[in-house]
Amino acid sequence: MAKLSEAFLPNRTLDRKTTGFIVVFWVVATFAVWLTMPFKTLPMPGDIWRALGALWWERGMGPQLFTTLRLIAHATALTVALSLLLSYLTVIPFFRPLVEGLSKLRFLGFTGLVFPFTLVTGGGYALKVALLTFGMATFFVTSMAQIVVEIPRVQFDHMRVLGAGEVRILWEVVVRGTLDRALDVLRQNVAMGWAMITTVEGISRAEGGIGALLLDENRHFLLAEVYAILFVILVLGLALDYAMGVLTNLLCPHAHLGRVTR
Amino acid sequence: MSASDGEVLLDVSKVRLTLGGHLVLENISFQVHDRIRTGEITGQVIALLGPSGVGKTRLLRIIAGLDAADSGTVRGQKGAALPAGTVGYVFQDYPLLHHRTVKANLELAGTIAGMSKGESAARAKLLMETFNLSDRASFYPAFLSGGQRQRVAIAQQIMRPRQLVLMDEPFSGLDPAALGHVMKLVQEVAHLDELNTVVLVTHDIRAALAVSDTVHMLGRFRKDGKIVPGACVRETYDMVDRGLAWRTGVQELPEFVALEHEIASKFHDL
Ligand SMILES: Nc1ncnc2c1ncn2[C@@H]1O[C@H](COP(=O)(O)OP(=O)(O)OP(=O)(O)O)[C@@H](O)[C@H]1O
Ligand SMILES: [Mg+2]
Repeated sequence: MAKLSEAFLPNRTLDRKTTGFIVVFWVVATFAVWLTMPFKTLPMPGDIWRALGALWWERGMGPQLFTTLRLIAHATALTVALSLLLSYLTVIPFFRPLVEGLSKLRFLGFTGLVFPFTLVTGGGYALKVALLTFGMATFFVTSMAQIVVEIPRVQFDHMRVLGAGEVRILWEVVVRGTLDRALDVLRQNVAMGWAMITTVEGISRAEGGIGALLLDENRHFLLAEVYAILFVILVLGLALDYAMGVLTNLLCPHAHLGRVTR
Repeated sequence: MSASDGEVLLDVSKVRLTLGGHLVLENISFQVHDRIRTGEITGQVIALLGPSGVGKTRLLRIIAGLDAADSGTVRGQKGAALPAGTVGYVFQDYPLLHHRTVKANLELAGTIAGMSKGESAARAKLLMETFNLSDRASFYPAFLSGGQRQRVAIAQQIMRPRQLVLMDEPFSGLDPAALGHVMKLVQEVAHLDELNTVVLVTHDIRAALAVSDTVHMLGRFRKDGKIVPGACVRETYDMVDRGLAWRTGVQELPEFVALEHEIASKFHDL
């Protein structure tokens, strides 16, 4: 273990053991502050744990979670398909203004769109998928189209010199060549979608889901339950993020090679 | 040993290029003839020397078929046109496909050239051995040193048989030992076949003279101390006629040193 004084100096790299020690310190400190806090707005860990049990066994949180996960999976799949297609289309000048225009729609936000989207989709599950997809895809297209536009010209020239046709160039340079970055963008996007999910589920509550459950508990001022749900949302969000990271390393082992740990 | 010149392998004729209204290349003309030595397979190495910004990279891009000239022509052996893909081009910063390993980068070049998977793998293996890359076969480009990257880039260009390979600044940023290796490599690539030609661009006068059989000096004219736009071939040095080509240790000869000084002094006015 490195000298602990190292941890207080700027721009130092620490070994794993010291880093772990520091993390444990912060976790313990957080719990210490929590347990000794005078405010009554924050329930004690024990209350939250009991609320979690009640939610799981009596309120059917398991199936609700499943509903939510299905929603985000559905919306993510649609987002990926639509956004990648649109982003790759930017290599054709004719489609650039279209993609540019669609990406600008991200400034609209949900509230005003609920009504027109309800008319189009008929509400319910389809409405939620559509809203979430819209929210995620407009951001995804923005980042991804930028990445495609910024591919250095020499990469295309390099493939031309090797004698590759345009389709092969599109595949190797535009699709495969940006896959690592697409997955990075997707990772941020899934995080955004997850953050939006309670809002979207609140718009149409009939199908349930963790967001609907959260609003219910809010209405009844069940503070411990609300925190228990927030805790679950946080843990699941982190798990999704971690899974995305694993997927990136699996599909693009080259992606993390260039990154050197400080 | 007797040497003579054979048929025309590359004919660059009256190439003119303007960029954004500025004249860059005025009237670039030169020919590459097959160098024939009895009893030796002799490829051609042509060096294009010239100051920074004179238009060397632009000229290579035109020869490679990547850019079109405003006027003038570039023809290969027997007057053949040279569309993009027929001429090898080693770019200045050695671009590679970053998501493919060294082996996969080479094999891709093979399959693009129409080889079967097996042929391509065999050729890649051979080139990795020749270029001292075998132990880096499974590395991604991000994990290669600058010199290794350069060797992969060159190997990738000759995965398919190429009669003409262009190299932009292959000697920049190398230590003296590495420079020697790359110079040897350039000659090996050229002498693989009687009809092979390497055209390279460099600022390094000494390396240019040592490695090539012909040196073309590109430059612009000056009027009242000011540069007149539009580069052309200002001077051509035939190293074979001067008895300075294909010789080891040529850099020690007084004639070589004298020529190097002569060119260096002219360089200032280009
Ligand atoms: N789009 C453009 N508009 C106007 N001038 C341009 C443009 N692109 C390049 N040039 C000019 O063309 C000239 C030739 O550029 P080129 O890259 O061929 O030079 P070079 O001889 O390869 O130089 P170096 O040895 O520094 O690489 C330069 O002076 C450059 O400023
Ligand atoms: Mg250049």
